[in-house]
Amino acid sequence: MANFLEIDCKLEDIIPEKTRKTRTPQFIQARTIRPAPPRYRNEISKYIILRNEERCLKCGKCVEICPQGVHVKSPGYKYFAQPQSHLCFGPVCEKKGCYCITACPEGALHIQENPMMKALGDYRWPAEMILATWKMAENGECPSEDYGYDFETGNSEGGFDRIRFKFPDRPPVELKEEEIDTSIELNRRHDGRPRIRIDVPWYGGGMSFGSVSNTTQLSKARAAVAWNTFSCTGEGGFMERMRPYDDHMITQVATGLFGVREETIQRVPIVEFKYAQGAKPGLGGHLLGDKNTQAVAKMRETVIGISLFSPFPFHSVYSIEDHQKHIDWVKHINRRALISTKVSTPNDVDMVAVGSYSAGTHIIHLDGGYGGTGAAPDIAKKNIAMPIEYAISKVHNFLVAEGAREQVTLVASGGIRNPYDVAKAIALGADGVVIGTVEMVALGCVRCNRCSAGRGCPRCIATTDKTLAAKIDLEWGAQRLINTYNAWRNEIVSILCRLGLRSVSELRGRSDLLMHLDYTNVVVEREA
Amino acid sequence: MNSDLIQRLIDSKKKLIDGFDLPATVRKSEEEGGCGVVGFCCTEPVPGKHIYEPSKQMHNRGNGKGGGIAAVGFVPEQLGVSREILEDHYMLHIAFLEPDAKDDVEKGFILPHFDVAASCMLATVDDWKTIPGLEVKPPDVCRYFVRVKKDVLDHFIAEHKLENIDRREAEDEYVNQNSFKLNQMHYSAVGDKKAFVLSHGRNIMILKVVGFAEAIVDYYKVRDLCAHVWIAHQRFPTKGRVWHPAGAHPFTGINIALVHNGDFANYHSVTEHLLQRHIRPQFLTDTEVSVLLFDLLSRTYHYSLEHIIEALAPTSELDFDRLPEAKKKLYRAIQATHIHGSPDGPWFFIIARNDIAQEQFQLLGITDTAMLRPQVFAFVDGEVQVGLIASEKQAIDATLLSLSKDDIRICPVADRFWNARGGSHTDGGAFIFNLTQESGRMRMTCTDKFGKLISLPMGTEPYDFASETYLAHKVDAGIEKKIRDFMESDAPGLFRYLRDHISVWSYDDLRAACRMITESVKNTNTFDIAIKSLTMLNDYRYPMGAKKRSHILHIVGSELTRLFQSVPRLDADQDAPGNSYRLIDFAARGALRAPQHDETTLVINAFGFPPEGDQSDASLLMDAYMKGWRRFITFGCVGQRYIGNGLGPETDDVVIDVYGSSGDYLASGIDGMAITVHGNAQDQLGQIIKRGKLVIYGDVGQTFLYGAKGGEIYVMGNAAGRPLINSVGKPRVVINGTCLDFLGESFMAGDPHNDGGFVILNGVKFDDDGGVILMDEPYPGSNVFSLASGGAIYVRDPGKTLIDQQLNGGMIEPLNKKDWELILPYLEENERLFNIRIEDLLKVNGEKRSPQQIYRKVVPFAAGKSSADLDDDLLDDEYLEEEVAYATGVAAA
Repeated sequence: MANFLEIDCKLEDIIPEKTRKTRTPQFIQARTIRPAPPRYRNEISKYIILRNEERCLKCGKCVEICPQGVHVKSPGYKYFAQPQSHLCFGPVCEKKGCYCITACPEGALHIQENPMMKALGDYRWPAEMILATWKMAENGECPSEDYGYDFETGNSEGGFDRIRFKFPDRPPVELKEEEIDTSIELNRRHDGRPRIRIDVPWYGGGMSFGSVSNTTQLSKARAAVAWNTFSCTGEGGFMERMRPYDDHMITQVATGLFGVREETIQRVPIVEFKYAQGAKPGLGGHLLGDKNTQAVAKMRETVIGISLFSPFPFHSVYSIEDHQKHIDWVKHINRRALISTKVSTPNDVDMVAVGSYSAGTHIIHLDGGYGGTGAAPDIAKKNIAMPIEYAISKVHNFLVAEGAREQVTLVASGGIRNPYDVAKAIALGADGVVIGTVEMVALGCVRCNRCSAGRGCPRCIATTDKTLAAKIDLEWGAQRLINTYNAWRNEIVSILCRLGLRSVSELRGRSDLLMHLDYTNVVVEREA
Repeated sequence: MNSDLIQRLIDSKKKLIDGFDLPATVRKSEEEGGCGVVGFCCTEPVPGKHIYEPSKQMHNRGNGKGGGIAAVGFVPEQLGVSREILEDHYMLHIAFLEPDAKDDVEKGFILPHFDVAASCMLATVDDWKTIPGLEVKPPDVCRYFVRVKKDVLDHFIAEHKLENIDRREAEDEYVNQNSFKLNQMHYSAVGDKKAFVLSHGRNIMILKVVGFAEAIVDYYKVRDLCAHVWIAHQRFPTKGRVWHPAGAHPFTGINIALVHNGDFANYHSVTEHLLQRHIRPQFLTDTEVSVLLFDLLSRTYHYSLEHIIEALAPTSELDFDRLPEAKKKLYRAIQATHIHGSPDGPWFFIIARNDIAQEQFQLLGITDTAMLRPQVFAFVDGEVQVGLIASEKQAIDATLLSLSKDDIRICPVADRFWNARGGSHTDGGAFIFNLTQESGRMRMTCTDKFGKLISLPMGTEPYDFASETYLAHKVDAGIEKKIRDFMESDAPGLFRYLRDHISVWSYDDLRAACRMITESVKNTNTFDIAIKSLTMLNDYRYPMGAKKRSHILHIVGSELTRLFQSVPRLDADQDAPGNSYRLIDFAARGALRAPQHDETTLVINAFGFPPEGDQSDASLLMDAYMKGWRRFITFGCVGQRYIGNGLGPETDDVVIDVYGSSGDYLASGIDGMAITVHGNAQDQLGQIIKRGKLVIYGDVGQTFLYGAKGGEIYVMGNAAGRPLINSVGKPRVVINGTCLDFLGESFMAGDPHNDGGFVILNGVKFDDDGGVILMDEPYPGSNVFSLASGGAIYVRDPGKTLIDQQLNGGMIEPLNKKDWELILPYLEENERLFNIRIEDLLKVNGEKRSPQQIYRKVVPFAAGKSSADLDDDLLDDEYLEEEVAYATGVAAA
């Protein structure tokens, strides 16, 4: 449980009765890792195994030799099922002595690289990173080395893809994995408001009802409960059915103020002001008309079928003292809430951050330019905001110089794709990160960038169409995310072990542990 | 001035700049967002202590890391010089960050070039740490009264071929360039900042500190120093560590001081514009650049004030199209030359100026064309006149209160309050208070950008607030009996009786009558009647004969305050049976408890409460609500924010009445309660309001009802810029005056005939007798209902002045019967609340017309669908039913 109740006064003294009255028992989600196999019968795989039925003797040699269970012949059936290609390690099996292709006495099996690998993903999210994330979501572990997936970096030739850890050959101190602390504190101001700690150094980013389906939102919320961290409503109202997750939700107050009421502000332990998104700074928010269905319009109290715009900026905030007034307002309404201020990364992001700190924010949330899904215009994505890796260190260093670093929590988002990105962001100076796209990928997103079009999402994640949304089972969705979080945490623990650090807090600001390939004389071999 | 001479002036600056080895570009080094600004001018020289109160009131607009004040128009005796020296000599104020720099500065930049008529170090308190609100020791400041030595000036004129320029102008330029050099040598160029020029105009002074502005008044002991014009600035630099005040406002030009709220998006472009004219910033802030621009336009180009303002805030859109052809041509030329030097972004300037050429002192307020920063102007007429400009109305009220305590001829209620609209079709976004000598005494006028005088109420008979005669004044026995009768049962009757007699009574009659009312309260019933009747006198408009409305409001307001203060205290030991009102104030806040017995109404004296935070009156109100109080009166407000916020959902049984200078965010997010503001209101009212009733007996400020979702809202006067942006749901709003601009942008409030929202804009104002005047043009702004997708605006526009060009996504439709039936109940309630009769609204030139001829409807061009239009498979009914079930807890299991 988030320890938000650790406050000097009783809830009934700080929250009006009518808001408290609607509090429901909070949902309990165990942190259990269970398999959550793909939704589709034939998940996209790196390799494709083809079986020549005419030659196949049905001898079962392939079944015996394959450690992955690619070949399945159910009892009582005459023929093999289609090979489960997504489980296949590929030609590496030859070295391991479990290569079905050569083992087949009749040469009935054939392997080839899936041509889909060329179409899937993009430079920032290469196909292998997507497949690896799916594996994490399925099993709760990073995929075994045998798969050969490179998920540590993408191919963008910039950003985190050009940054590597300088791992020592052996750890400077031997640490046990159980000793490693991955939690971070969200309130460092010591202002009498709750000192909330989350167990993993990330929380889920804001995705509105409208941009994604409620099933997606609930899956995110359940994962947040399981891992004692947070998820965020985004700007589209805070649904009644989310009440059992109130203690793990951040509600967003964004420029359109859609669905924001005093009650929604009073329900949660953290309120986030969204000034801008790194993927489209200065452009506000958009929900195109087709996704604005009856339910979405009801939640936002608008008319159906009309594209909804969140303006840029807040019309009531044109300067820092307005921002302070804005923060004071929410602090007045919700006396236990922490305030997070989400800004994009302009050139003077350091000044913005310090200004926001002095205006009373608890969490500074920097949203860099690498994030964004289909809903952000291509012209904006990656082209406006400062790259997040520069912004983090710029802000971190400035906060240190101003003597404010220990009083504020700095989180970064915008293209945090894997546990290595998390560790790099922290080493650059952030306390933690906020994730977005990766949760969509864990739910089956293929990065087709069609999030905003029509009723959204061929993979039924970012949709408001009730028929599409029903294709995802909530239990499954939650499990996929819980599993992914587990894989990430394990990987971060192992990174910390390799670096000989006991906690993520020790990693913060250790940019000396990083190297940037543009400025380093190291040849990094990419796996073919 | 011909262009050749202008060129020579500019060339002289080039030589100056070339004398230093400077990098080609200038980068802004200090970011800042906003601040609090205030300025006032008075026909009497008034002491510096009066800038103290408004500065203190706007603490929450600064962060204590920079404050400054400026003053223009001193009393020579106080400065120990003759009037001639004060008026003719430059008053150099130089700040020494290192005391030992003084010798160097004087040897290098004062003694060789100037004849010094007088000089002195400014007195300070001994220990700066004794002054609250100071972060760093303020600089030592020396004041010099100087003229440029004759031979030095001769040489300067000869060197730059300025013979054909007025010798005094050449001297101005010399002083300007000398200050530049001084700053360059002792401030900009050196690692250790040693000294810089605070101000170098005539009869003008600037002081600044790292700390809050009001600390200057105490530290430099200028509490009693008198001047005609004062301006102050609370700064909110985002940089945490500031160790000297050079970056604080005001900044100086020759004979001007400027403070600024906002920031520029195009600092680089504006700086380039200046660099092309060889003007180089040294302190690297937006504000410095602003004053350099103003100085360039006025002193080098010799533009008139109108044209300076046009160059700073260019006229655009519909406002431009509506200009006369000749003016269009001229403005186009100004814009073509200066558009790159015009600051882009939210900004508001307050400028104090010694206008030598016109022999007047000036106080100016100029807003950007989109009116993105808050600004309020006020005028107090009378024997002593006061003009005021501030970020918040409450700062104006605080100044006037402070002034009135010192000079009883000044009424603490201004005769007129108004906002500037950043468009040249109306006022041009700027107002100028001019102080000139008229037959031996100083008089003040206020004009807009075009020199058009601001009209003031006609009432001329002032009241002497110092007189105590009303205390002994006996009202007629008949009057006394009448009042006593009404006090038993009839508040409206009492109000009508008073109202109908005000114009014939003397002020003493009125004051004595009001005092009689407040003295004769004894129980809940009489309290009710006294409060109601006096409140009606405060709220309504009625004929007052020759009396000044501001003075009547002050009398009534003072009596109301007195009445509220006489309420039995909540922390008193003795119970007060028969009186259900209880008073609480800051000192007694710890005594808050649940209501007992028949107690119903908590009267909160807001004075003394901080404007926000745990200790604020709004927090106390929230606590009181949680303890069971439902009826509130908040009075004595001095800018307190968030009144009525935080009470959460379903507050239908809550009623709040607010008196005084209430602050920002009032009634934001309310869900069910009723709030009445008895007077003008400030900015960001009713943000995300959900349900309930908000009534404002006056004007309302910026960003009114942003993101509103519902509620019934009535405004007696005007709304400033950007009302009802991003409103959804079903807000129903009546604004009786007008709006500055951007009304209902992105309005998404459904179908008005199907439980959606709408705005009724009546476009009326009041004459001096309280009668309704119908404005010729209900909506002068360039944009209305832009990008709207739902709802409607009903505009009272018989002259059909609203045109398509103002609409960006909306269209005008005639009013139909259904529309009239929809809005009529709201107009009826409006009539009941404000006495603005539907009968009057339906008249044109005294003739009654049909509603269809009077009101026009603005609707979205592309309207959304309603669920009735949807196919079955697109309906989410089941889902929505579930939501309701979750809300009521049925589905929680």
